[in-house]
Amino acid sequence: MTEEQKRTARWLETVKSVLYGMAGHDMARYALKTRGSMEHLFILITMGDLLGVPILPPYYSLRLLPYVVPQISTWKRRMLREKDLTDALA
Amino acid sequence: MNAVITLIIGFLGIAVGYGVYARSIDKNIMQPDDKKATPAKMYMDGVDFTPANRNVLFGYQFKSIAALGPIVGPIVAVRWGWLPALLWIIVGTFFIGWVQDYSSIMLGVREDGQSFGALSYRLVSPRARTILLTFIYFYLLLIMGAFGKIVGYDLMSNPAVPIGVLLVILIGLLAGQMTYKWKMDIILTSLVTVVLAFVGIWIGTLSGVQSLLTAINGSPDTTVFGSVTWAQFFWSLVVLVICYFGAVLPIWRWAQPINYVAFWIVFLGILGGTIGLLIWHPAFPADFPAFTNWNGDLCAATDCSGVEKTVGAMGPLWPLLFVTIACGAISGWHSLVSSSGTARQLEKESDALYVGGGAMFLEMFLAVLSLLTAVVGVGVTRGFAGYVSLVAAGKNAGVFAVGLSEMMSHIGIPVSFGLPYGSVFLTLMALTIMYLVVRFMRVASAEFLGDSIPLFKNTTFGTLVALALSALFIWTGFWARIWILFGGANQLMASLALLLVTLWLKSNGKKYLWTLIPFAFMFVTTIYALLLTAYKVLSTLSGLPVDKFVGNILAGVIAIYLVAAALILGWDAFKAFRRPGAEAKVEA
Repeated sequence: MTEEQKRTARWLETVKSVLYGMAGHDMARYALKTRGSMEHLFILITMGDLLGVPILPPYYSLRLLPYVVPQISTWKRRMLREKDLTDALA
Repeated sequence: MNAVITLIIGFLGIAVGYGVYARSIDKNIMQPDDKKATPAKMYMDGVDFTPANRNVLFGYQFKSIAALGPIVGPIVAVRWGWLPALLWIIVGTFFIGWVQDYSSIMLGVREDGQSFGALSYRLVSPRARTILLTFIYFYLLLIMGAFGKIVGYDLMSNPAVPIGVLLVILIGLLAGQMTYKWKMDIILTSLVTVVLAFVGIWIGTLSGVQSLLTAINGSPDTTVFGSVTWAQFFWSLVVLVICYFGAVLPIWRWAQPINYVAFWIVFLGILGGTIGLLIWHPAFPADFPAFTNWNGDLCAATDCSGVEKTVGAMGPLWPLLFVTIACGAISGWHSLVSSSGTARQLEKESDALYVGGGAMFLEMFLAVLSLLTAVVGVGVTRGFAGYVSLVAAGKNAGVFAVGLSEMMSHIGIPVSFGLPYGSVFLTLMALTIMYLVVRFMRVASAEFLGDSIPLFKNTTFGTLVALALSALFIWTGFWARIWILFGGANQLMASLALLLVTLWLKSNGKKYLWTLIPFAFMFVTTIYALLLTAYKVLSTLSGLPVDKFVGNILAGVIAIYLVAAALILGWDAFKAFRRPGAEAKVEA
C-alpha cells in the first residue's frame, strides 16, 4: 500500500468513525448499559451480602461465585458510586 | 457580502479559535497528560465508564449537543440584523462556547468522572446541587414548551408535513424490529429504512394527502380556547401522544430506532444544504439589513403594511440577543453532556480538546449555515419582506425549511419536495429530543416525589404529569418569550458550569480568568434578560386572551424563580471563591 493509499484509508476510517459516533454509538452504548444493568442486578440479588445487603447466602450463590468473581470489583464500584439525575441525561 | 465568504469567515474563526486560542489554553493551562489514566480506563465497567475512540466520541458529542437550538436561535436573532447574530455566533463560540464544553470535559476527567450535581455539592455548596436539579427540570419543561410550540403550531399545521413525520416514525419502528428482533444487517436496515423514509416524506406532498390534512386542520379562525386554533390544538396533542410512547416504551423499541432513521434524514439535509449553498454561492440581498435597530423591531426597519399579522419588537439587543442564540454560541446543555457522558468515555486527556472544542466549533458552523438559510435562502428568493412575513406568521422554523429547500434546489432537489423535507427534518430534530425529555422528567419526578407520593413511581402517571405540564406551556403564552426563557435557563446552566470550572481551577492553583470572565458576562447578561422578560410578560397582562394570560403568568413566575436561584448560587459561589486557595472545596 502506497503512502497515498494509506492516507486515504486513514481519512475514510476517520469519516466512518465520526459517522458511527453520530448515528450508532449511543445505541451501542445503551445496549451495553442495559446488559450491564441486568448483570449487576443479578449479582445484587445473588451476592448482595458483599455490599451489606442482608441476603441469606443460598447454595446457588456459592455455585455462581466463580463466574461472578471477575465482575465483582466493577459491580461494587458502580453500585456504590454517588449518582444523581444528571447521570440519566447522558 | 457573499454567502461563501460568510462560511469562510466561519472557518477562519474555527482555525484561529481552535488552532491558536484553544490549543494555547490546552497546552499552557490544562496541560493534558496522556500518562494519567482517565476515568474511562481507571473505572472501566463496560457500562458507564468505557474508553472510546476520539473520532467516535467527536461524532457522539456533536450529535448530543446539536438540536433545534443552533438552527432556530440564529433565525430569530436575524430580527436585529444578520451582523449582530453572526458576530455573536463566532465571538461567543470563540471566547465562551468551546471554553465551557472543553473545560467541563476536563473537569469531569480530572475529578473521577463525577457528575455536575456531585461537583456543585462539593465545590459550591450542598444546596447548589438541589438548585441545579430544579434548574434542569425547568429547563426541560421550557424545551417542551419551546419545541412543542414550534412543532405543533408551526410545522405540523402545514398539511405537507404530518404524514411524512408519522411515516418516518413507523419506518423507525420497522428499523428497530429489523435490528433487534430480526437481527438484520445494519447497512441493509439503514438503506431500506432511509429510502422508505424519503418515500414517506414524498407521500406527504401528494395533493390528495394534503387535501385530507387541510380538511382535518379546518378553518384557521376556529379556536378551541383562547387564541389556540383547532389545528394547533390537534397537532400539539398528536405531538404529546408521540412523546408519551417515546417515554413509556422500551428505548430500543421507540426512541433509538426512530432517532437512528431521523439522524440520516437530518444529516443528509445538512450535507445537501451545504453543498447546494457552495454551488449556488449567492450574494447577500441588498435589502436584507446587516443591522435593523437596537430593539429588534422589524416593522421599524421595513414597511410592514403588507404583513397580515403584527410583528412585535424583540427588545434590547443586549441582553436578549445573547439568550436568543444559545446553542450556536454557548449552551449549558453541552456541559451536562460533556461531564456526565463524554468525560467518562475519554481514552486520553489530550482527546478532550478535539472532542469538546472541535464539536462546539462544528456546531458554530451549523449555526452559521442556519443563519444563511434566513439571509440568503429566504432573502434572495423572497426578499427581506419574505422573511418578515414568515416571522409575522409565527413560522420561524418555516424560514429554515424555505431556506434549506432553496439551497438544496441547486443540487437538483425540487423545492416542492425540499420544503416539506426541511419541515420534516426540523420536526424530527425536535421530536427526538422531546420524548427523551419527557422520559427524563418522569424519572426526575419519581426521584423527587416518589417517596412522599408513591403514585409518581408509576410510569404512566409520571409521564402524564410531565405531558400535562408540557401542554400547559405549549398551549399558553407567546413563543418568543418561551424561547427567551429557554435560552435564559440554558445560559444560566452554562454560567454555573463555568463557575464550577473556575472554582476548580482556583482550588488547583491554575489560571482561571479565561473561565471567570465568560462566567461573569453570561451570568449578568442572562439575569438581566430574565428580569426583562419577567417585566415584559407581567406588565402586559390586561386584554390578553385566557391562554396568553396564563402563559404570561407562568413565564413570569419561572423567570423570577430562575433569577432567584441564580442569585443564591452566585452568592454561594462567591463565598466558595473567597475561601483560601486549594481549600475552596466545601466540607461535605
